[in-house]
Amino acid sequence: MKKALKRTYILSLFLMLSTLVWAQNKSITGKVTDPSGVALSKASVFIKGTKLGTTTDELGNFSLSAPASAKTLVVSSLNFDTQEISISAGSMTIVLTSNENKMDEIIVVGYGVQKVTKVSGAIATVKGADIEKLKPVRAEDALQGRASGVTVISNGSPGAKPTVLIRGIPSYTGTDPVVVVDGSIQTLDDLNSINPQDIESINVLKDAATTAIYGVKGGNGVIVVATKSGKKNQKNEFNYSGNYAVQQVLNQIGVLNASEYAAIINEGSVASGGNLMFPNLSGLGVGTNWQDQIFKNAPIQSHNLTARGGSEKMSYFLSGGYLGQDGIVGGGEKSYFNRVNGTANLNFDLTNKLKFIANTSYTNIKGAGIPENAINSVISNALNFDPTVSILNNVPGTYGKYGTSQTILSEIINPLTQLQDSYNGSNTSKLFGKLELQYDVLKNLKLTSRYGYTNTDVTGKSFMPLSYYGTAHINSTLNADGSAKVGSHNSVYEYKNNYFNYTFETFGNYRFTVAEKHNFETVLGFSMARVTGNSLSGSRQDVPFNSWDFADISSATGIAQTSGIDLGSYQYERRNLSYFSRVDYDFNDTYLASATVRRDGSYAFGDNNKFANFFSGSLGWVVSNEKFFKSDFVNYLKIRGSYGVTGNENVNPQYQRISTSIYSYGLGQNAGYTFGAEPTSIGATIASFKNDDLKWEQQAQLNAGFDLRFFKNKFSFSGDYFRKDISGLLFTPTLSLYLGTASLPTANIGTTQTSGFDMNLGYTDQLTKNFKISTNITFTKATNLVTETNNGLITGGGYGIPYQPVTRFEKGYAPGYFYGFKTDRLFQNQAEISKASSQPNAQPGDIRYVDINGDGKIDGDDRTNIGNPFPDFTMGWGLTLEYKGFDLNTYVYSSVGNEVYRAYERNLAMTNKYRGVLGRWVGEGSTNDATNPRYTFIDANNNTRVSDRYVEDGSFIKIKNLQLGYTFNSAKLKQKNISGIRLYAQVKNAFTFTKYAGFDPEISGGIFDTGIDRGAYPQARSVAVGLDLKF
Amino acid sequence: MKYIKLIVCVAVLVFTNAACTKFVEYNPQEDYQITANDYLKTSDDYSKMVIGVYSPLQWLYGNPLIGDIASDNSVSGGENATDVIGLQQIDDYLANSNNSYLTEAWKSCYEGINRANYLHENKAKLDFTGKEALYGEVYFLRAYYYFELVRMFGDVPLFVEKRLSASDSKKFPRTAKAAVYSQIELDLNNAIKVLPVSNVQKGRVTRFAAQALLGKALLYQGKFDAAAAALETVANGPFTLVSNFGDVFLQSGENGTESVFEIQYSNISPFYDWSNPGRGQGNLAVQVCGIRNLTGSSPYGQGWSINLPTSNLASAYAAGDKRKDVTVLDIEAYKKANPQFNITYLVAPYKNTGLYNQKYLPRKGETSGQVELNYLNNFRTIRYADVLLMAAEANNRATVPNDAKAQGYLNKVRERAFGNKLNNITSTGATLKQAIWDERRLELAMEGDRFFDLVRTGLAATKITNFKANKNEVFPIPQQEVDISGLTQNLGY
Repeated sequence: MKKALKRTYILSLFLMLSTLVWAQNKSITGKVTDPSGVALSKASVFIKGTKLGTTTDELGNFSLSAPASAKTLVVSSLNFDTQEISISAGSMTIVLTSNENKMDEIIVVGYGVQKVTKVSGAIATVKGADIEKLKPVRAEDALQGRASGVTVISNGSPGAKPTVLIRGIPSYTGTDPVVVVDGSIQTLDDLNSINPQDIESINVLKDAATTAIYGVKGGNGVIVVATKSGKKNQKNEFNYSGNYAVQQVLNQIGVLNASEYAAIINEGSVASGGNLMFPNLSGLGVGTNWQDQIFKNAPIQSHNLTARGGSEKMSYFLSGGYLGQDGIVGGGEKSYFNRVNGTANLNFDLTNKLKFIANTSYTNIKGAGIPENAINSVISNALNFDPTVSILNNVPGTYGKYGTSQTILSEIINPLTQLQDSYNGSNTSKLFGKLELQYDVLKNLKLTSRYGYTNTDVTGKSFMPLSYYGTAHINSTLNADGSAKVGSHNSVYEYKNNYFNYTFETFGNYRFTVAEKHNFETVLGFSMARVTGNSLSGSRQDVPFNSWDFADISSATGIAQTSGIDLGSYQYERRNLSYFSRVDYDFNDTYLASATVRRDGSYAFGDNNKFANFFSGSLGWVVSNEKFFKSDFVNYLKIRGSYGVTGNENVNPQYQRISTSIYSYGLGQNAGYTFGAEPTSIGATIASFKNDDLKWEQQAQLNAGFDLRFFKNKFSFSGDYFRKDISGLLFTPTLSLYLGTASLPTANIGTTQTSGFDMNLGYTDQLTKNFKISTNITFTKATNLVTETNNGLITGGGYGIPYQPVTRFEKGYAPGYFYGFKTDRLFQNQAEISKASSQPNAQPGDIRYVDINGDGKIDGDDRTNIGNPFPDFTMGWGLTLEYKGFDLNTYVYSSVGNEVYRAYERNLAMTNKYRGVLGRWVGEGSTNDATNPRYTFIDANNNTRVSDRYVEDGSFIKIKNLQLGYTFNSAKLKQKNISGIRLYAQVKNAFTFTKYAGFDPEISGGIFDTGIDRGAYPQARSVAVGLDLKF
Repeated sequence: MKYIKLIVCVAVLVFTNAACTKFVEYNPQEDYQITANDYLKTSDDYSKMVIGVYSPLQWLYGNPLIGDIASDNSVSGGENATDVIGLQQIDDYLANSNNSYLTEAWKSCYEGINRANYLHENKAKLDFTGKEALYGEVYFLRAYYYFELVRMFGDVPLFVEKRLSASDSKKFPRTAKAAVYSQIELDLNNAIKVLPVSNVQKGRVTRFAAQALLGKALLYQGKFDAAAAALETVANGPFTLVSNFGDVFLQSGENGTESVFEIQYSNISPFYDWSNPGRGQGNLAVQVCGIRNLTGSSPYGQGWSINLPTSNLASAYAAGDKRKDVTVLDIEAYKKANPQFNITYLVAPYKNTGLYNQKYLPRKGETSGQVELNYLNNFRTIRYADVLLMAAEANNRATVPNDAKAQGYLNKVRERAFGNKLNNITSTGATLKQAIWDERRLELAMEGDRFFDLVRTGLAATKITNFKANKNEVFPIPQQEVDISGLTQNLGY
């Protein structure tokens, strides 16, 4: 390497001297610019076929002495197409065209790269430049609305993983697409550790033609992330980007103030035969707005410094970054996400034919969180806690900083006390990357062998102190004087988890052409992958001084028989062995075809089905290349189609387990027996059946699409229709009861069907010399239907105490749909109650439920589909305007048809209420709106049961990004070796337009918890200023 | 040269892979999971698995309830018409094939059978001291489970070779009752050959238990000569009637001198699972019998007013029969007689009889953890008194009846009941037979045999309201099983 560097220096020196040495030769001068006329510095200018050349100065000018025989210049610059130009006399003006958004762009696909023009599958691409502009915390944020076919439901909690769906929800076992970073297979969870600024491009592989090469891992789509690397013979370039933002909550949920609260409580109490709880309403005023108390303005800042460049024999990309995000709920002390990144991507030419690539990244993430999206979350407590309570404790001689309620005596607590008593922290260290050798066996045959790895160590701790919520509050573990209640203990919990996975792959790419026009690109290889995880955790009671400062198992003293000390551990492992091959063919760039085969073996599959085969094929036709195609308007038209099969290995190995438990909860696998008065004897029994036929979930996908460019290539339009048929979803088979009560095996039984379309419309134009516009609209639609489950049913997320399940995965419905009662207005009088289907405890003012099965009574069988948390379609609209040094970026995301289940109301007699209660039924004719039944403490009709009363339309339009930047481009700066300064102001989540009355209709949570708002962490609006600097 | 390189590369590729197909083989040991492959390698493994065969006995807590509720002894009770719906339907003779109590009995018995079969199929795998005796227990238990099935459902699928695997689903039709009984006899005879007469561990199966169960199974088939022979040894075995009848049902009376076989329950390992309340070590049938909202200082705990004795049963006892108050608790009378207890309670809200099952009433201090689920009361499944009455019946109904012997056995029971010989029976022939049957009801009421006795003696139709002959002798096969396994349903269901 040293030698290589030396040679570069010598070469540079040589070039510098060359003007002197060949002074007698002809002189060439000129200027290199981009299409808008902006000078390009550091562009290299060489005389073709020689090593004679130079680079342009800060103003884009160059001058060069060349032998008289020189005819052609080769001009190149990063991110621009290399151009060959005939040498002409006088000052030449060379305009390079950007290689971004170009049709001969190369995109990264599985085990290779492909020219966009030759792709006949369905791929969505997001460029690094777009990601850089968005400044996302997680890379997925950049996919939202930018990659058609991809639905991203963001999570407001700092650093939390969003729900990502590529073309709908095929299975209940998980929707996470596989993530391939520089060829190494990772998971969506790993994306939080990649600095988005390091990403060169993200390609989302959507159809079977592109995903089948990942076989059993490809079923949920593939996100291919390419990180940046240096380029050979490129002068070092530094990039600094930094920004600072303040985040705040966008809105509050309307709950009652103290006076309104007291009045409603009085009414509820009287309606159920009780006394006035607040005999005197005067003087209560508005009381405490607990939302004001928990939401803070929280800063977020990031700094990144990168360096990239290269010499003759090596190139490098180095990056260091820091991101610090505080949470808006409770502020940075209790909820934060701090990430430090370091990346070194190094490429070496060991010999002419052998290349070595080492990509290494280290990430450290420190985080803390607060209870979220549950009935006991901080937000839920803020919404439900007593507004008549003062913020600070004003009862002399009692423990605690904050006020306590005299009336709320269970479950709901002062959110400030809860925040104060939330103590946790985690520390994640992650080392990931790849080591890769590329060997050019022949000119057109390359062998690649790589080892990709990820090692993650997570340590964490949480502390549950003894707390005081009021003398009579059942969750109080302290007495009013601060002494511990009898039998109460604080406890500390610690864990250490390690995850390690690697992929070892070797494959060959062979390229050849037959009879000039028949082009083949082939790949053949194998892959071995191993995923492991293990954990050791423990908890112990009795931390000294009831203090976080001393919260550690080593200092705790608990020895109580039950849970005084508790230990846990787990370990898991997955292994895959795969072979794959792909042939891409094109005839004269006009007729395209590809075929893929992958054979996958998985550790998880049953003995009889260890290996699965997956195939796909695709065809494309570039109509615009045909001679008969003559259009001045349409510049390019490609029609493509694909069909193929991929898989999903979200199954667990099954075997005949031996149970030696005295009892096993829920099932009949206990094996103990107690002889006489002896201690229970431990027995043993076979506790599970095995299923040697267990196999993958299989997905057949059809894709048909087109790519179109028209009006001088200014417009581009792509559309794809797809249909996925999934079979082999794991459900419990129906087996004879006389087999006994051992846990039944799961078998590949269920089916689902998903169809939809993705579209992408783009327009880029240079309107005037100084004014450039670029806009892009994406459209994503997927409709999901569960078609078979063998009467099986997955009951998913719910809420409340007692727990009420809401979402389901069930035959005949969309995955994760809301299941509950349908309401039909309110009973206005007794006569209406008598006339309706039997609701024994109903009174006037109660909700009338719909008798779905028509059996004359309202019972559990009348529950039905009352909503779908997933959008009918989503759209993204991006607009970039550039005028001179100014640039304006806006980004709008819209989700239509997603419903939200409002589940943050605790509905205890004394908890605070949603403001809607002010419009409640108060007598015949007052209202007939089923969302506003009468208010009473004793809800005999169970008006709070799961019903469409709580389902709201969560459609929204969000202005996700609004950014105004100015790039300084003065000669003065360039003299100081600063090639560019851009200053910008940015507002993220600037506005949300929605009918949803909660904080944020975007509530992520996989298949079963998406759309259930139990007080979810809302996305913050952040206002930022930032600086990008190149030097 | 180029091509040689290519060939070498391909060869390396193929070779490295052939060697690593093993890479994707799964061994549960890597996940520290114990599987069948790791088991039955020591005698201790066998002992543990035998204990596992006992476990499903405890899950059958519903069977004694059914045996009385289906008869004239008790009513279902409960909170309302839809509480314990399965028992209500059995009580009202509206039982259909979707009955959770019957399904539970079916599944639990078959689990026990599969567990026994697993040991049977692995019998040859290891030899160790005491193996034969251990297998005696296994065969007894298998016979017990089949006996419960056959007397509840009639013809049932019979398989004895192995624990069924998933692929055996739907393969077995119903086997004729007689063949099932033959298997029960075979298993019990095999058990008798190897079982010891007593065990250090109380509650383990003995040779006498096997002989008693064999006698019972023979009696149910009308094989009286053989039954008499089988029961004779037990009747003259090391058992004695506990002098105070009430003591039999106290905690102190468990596994006592009168105990031939008891299903063991305990409060030592408390259980908390409400979704499968009968799957712990406690006896849920005790909780269900209890008096609602009972307070005061009586020895009894609260319960759910299920399985309430009928006045018909209470009035069947003659004056002076000490068994009446042990069997039936008249709560009002008890409250009046014991004002010092300050008893309050909620009158049984549905099908109230004012009477409670005193033999298995929940008693304070006999449960733990989740109190409803952990009563320690053993079921006195086969008592010496039962054996005496069975022996009496077998001798009375034998080809060559021995009524003197029958009287002797019967009067032993009556003398304990009345505390004197004044109420001894001296009749013979059919009158004696009726006297023995009547005695069985009085002695064994609320212990779960009444319905089956009425069916086997042909008296069910006359004694039980709404009983339909040629239908209600057996319960319906669980509908799920009919649907899945294609079994024929019992007549009339």
